[in-house]
Amino acid sequence: MEGRRAPGSKPQARGRGPRGLGAIIGRTALVAILLAVIVGPLLGLVLWSVAERWYWPAVFPQQIGTKYWARITQGDLLGALTRGVSIALVTTAAALVTSVPIAYGAARARLPLGPVVLMLFLLPQAFPQLPVFASAAVLFYRWNLAGTFLGVVLIHLVGGLVYSVWTMTAVFRAIGEEIEEAAINLGASFTRTFFRITLPLALPGVVASSILVFIYSLDEFTGTLLVGAPYVTTLPVYMYTASLGYELQIASVTALVLMIPGVVLLVAMERFLRAEYLAFFGRL
Amino acid sequence: MKALSAGALGGRVRPVERARPLEQALWWLAALPAIAVILIGFGFPLLQSLTASFMRDGNWTLANYELVYRLYRQDVFYTVGVAAAGLLLTFGIGIPLSGHLRLRHSHVAEFLLKVPLFVPFVVVGHAMRVFLAPRGTLLSTLHALGLVPADTTLAFSEGWMGLAIALAWKHLALVVLLLMGAFRGVDESYLEAARGFGAGPIRQIWAVLVPMAAPSIGLAAVLSLTSMLASFSIPLMMSRGSGPQMLMIDLYHRYGQHGDFGTASAIGVVSYLLAAGAAYYYLRSVAK
Amino acid sequence: MEVRVENLVKRYGQVRALDGVTQAFPSGALTAVVGPSGCGKTTLLRSLAGFVTPDAGRILMGDRDVTGVMPQARDAAMVFQSYALWPHMTVFENIAFALRLRKVPRGDVAGRVGEALELVELDRVPGVERRRPRELSGGQQQRVALARAVAVRPKVLLLDEPLSNLDAKIRHRVRVEIRALQRRTGITAIYVTHDQEEAMSIADMVVVMDSGRVAQAGRPEEVYASPRDAFVAEFLGATNVLSAGIDPSGRIVPAEGSRLIFRAEDIEMLPSGGPPPEGAVWADGELVDMLFLGAGYRAYVQVGGEVVMADRRTLLPRGPVRLVVPREKTYLFG
Repeated sequence: MEGRRAPGSKPQARGRGPRGLGAIIGRTALVAILLAVIVGPLLGLVLWSVAERWYWPAVFPQQIGTKYWARITQGDLLGALTRGVSIALVTTAAALVTSVPIAYGAARARLPLGPVVLMLFLLPQAFPQLPVFASAAVLFYRWNLAGTFLGVVLIHLVGGLVYSVWTMTAVFRAIGEEIEEAAINLGASFTRTFFRITLPLALPGVVASSILVFIYSLDEFTGTLLVGAPYVTTLPVYMYTASLGYELQIASVTALVLMIPGVVLLVAMERFLRAEYLAFFGRL
Repeated sequence: MKALSAGALGGRVRPVERARPLEQALWWLAALPAIAVILIGFGFPLLQSLTASFMRDGNWTLANYELVYRLYRQDVFYTVGVAAAGLLLTFGIGIPLSGHLRLRHSHVAEFLLKVPLFVPFVVVGHAMRVFLAPRGTLLSTLHALGLVPADTTLAFSEGWMGLAIALAWKHLALVVLLLMGAFRGVDESYLEAARGFGAGPIRQIWAVLVPMAAPSIGLAAVLSLTSMLASFSIPLMMSRGSGPQMLMIDLYHRYGQHGDFGTASAIGVVSYLLAAGAAYYYLRSVAK
Repeated sequence: MEVRVENLVKRYGQVRALDGVTQAFPSGALTAVVGPSGCGKTTLLRSLAGFVTPDAGRILMGDRDVTGVMPQARDAAMVFQSYALWPHMTVFENIAFALRLRKVPRGDVAGRVGEALELVELDRVPGVERRRPRELSGGQQQRVALARAVAVRPKVLLLDEPLSNLDAKIRHRVRVEIRALQRRTGITAIYVTHDQEEAMSIADMVVVMDSGRVAQAGRPEEVYASPRDAFVAEFLGATNVLSAGIDPSGRIVPAEGSRLIFRAEDIEMLPSGGPPPEGAVWADGELVDMLFLGAGYRAYVQVGGEVVMADRRTLLPRGPVRLVVPREKTYLFG
């Protein structure tokens, strides 16, 4: 890796050139510090997840084992995992179906008050969520939605729709209008043009936005805690309950399981995810 | 979330000129459910929490706010303080780091910095609690290195410092990403001109990159600040129930343990006001 | 099929993109609509295609009033500036898409695609049908777009700046090919461009547009030889536009509010002095510079307060010269 230098610029003075020994040491130090700061706290989770016995002040647990990891395959942890995944799948499907018309309308400036509608979807991510979700929980209780699968899906949609609507709006906007006009000009109906021309071209963006919604739903905590608990528990809520009872190992195993989809996504798609999509994750 | 805003909001309104009326009507029908979800799941509850904050036992009153003032006014300052500390930490590290990476690209460092984006808030809370606890991973490592004694009383996880560190850890990735985007937008020739006058890396960051990316820095700061002020999962995972609390924890306890929806809503309204100030700036910068 | 527009008006806010356009596009001919950007030529073409609904006026294709007809039902195929080829379909699928929409029998589709590719001379490129648009060169993509439009055998072919994305060399070749294709098929074609040279070289008829109106229409030679106003003269490549008039002897004299227009190629340069030439417009000036243009030289001559450009085969020394232009090659507009 080399410093960004335009051709013709002079090599930097004072031995700070890309090939200098100082630069190599500096770069290694930077990566080492970042590694410690970013991976360090997560490493603690890994240690705790396999610690069957660990007394202060030992750096490593005295006894290591997979006793707690085995919990994934059974009982409540497995239940929370499968419930969370099925909620996330339903939420993603619902978000996709409902977002496409809105996003397309906004992208083509056909939506009356388009910018206002787009802002509406951002609201749940820009505003304090807890007070609103607490209030929603009161309403959901009245409507017999509290503690139900449907209720949790709804509250996940509230926070998750912004990811699908905004991402897809950008994706549709990037598809030139002439490409649709070409089909219409040759006799294709508006609907056929959308399904044969526009949607296939938008597919990569649609997939990316689905992944965003899926991961948001899987990781959602506040809404699930208020609307779903104690009857509908997903992994984040399960982890919270475990840590309340000082079951640090269980909580750590759950935390690591929760991180898996995100990390897989990061490693697999890092090159393809544009900064915009990545910035979305800041709100998870 | 922010990076899309500018592009997603512009746009001319022009008449629909190619859909048959029936197709158009169906299209709008299909667009309604998403709007309904937001209105039912967010708009309506938001309004309800506003009215509930002025109600007790079916009567209009300011009693809820009196209670908030009596019990939680210190927590308002505590919350703002923690958020400010977190913000300071985030940008204190984020600006030099992004600037450095703009001048000396490092793929490994960039990849590492993206990791926290993909770690959910709850997990960050739990990880930081385990890491920073009185007998946590950090102190045991420091002890093993001989840096602190075995009977150390240093403990970050329970106080404002731990919270600020956890919040900064989570937000650093987003901030660095936004800042690097802005710094990359600064043309190389400005930096070369500065180098031509003998400016070192620090001078280049402070005198060229930061002023030229000022609007983006402001926006990133507002985004992180609102998020930190309203943070719930991280403080919930890290709190031990004594001493000053973040506002959202107070709200949760009022609501969950006391069943006092009125006072909880009043705390909520206070948090709306805190967020609204920042949101005002955000909306203004998005609108232009 | 003859295409006519009558009194067509389209406003965008305060801007009148079409300000009462009445024009006939003759059947079987290639008509070029030309004008500077913002003159309304693209809006005119898009309203013919049905993508723009005019605020007032009528559009007729043959005897049929298509003003309110959906774009799908107009039978006017368009070639877009960006080609608008569908990147997720092969060349074959791009062309077959519309054929299938028009219920061309299954067995005939391949034949019709082949025919269209032959028409644009792409049949010689091996395996072209199976390629995707991005695997083709710009010129080839252009031809696929053309093939896609003519494959449906439309009554009218609309071309929106079809050559503007090609480099100069290919542009000339494709221009000739489009012209040949139009001649062979006898299709009524309307061709929008901002390039007056392209318009004049390709078209049977040229329609010059200026701020939402038709400034002049006619055969290219006609319009070139006798522009109706200063705008047309200037737009069709007149190099010299002077605020000047002519005195009884034919001498160019400064005149407020009057414009004298002539082309650099029509000027003859003689030694200064002597009696005024018969039946010509002339002026004495100072040759200040000559630039080599490849085929010849362009001279810059200071006449009074203005600089006149004149073309010439050979070099002349700097100094006083006399410029002489045949009277019929100059245009004077009050």
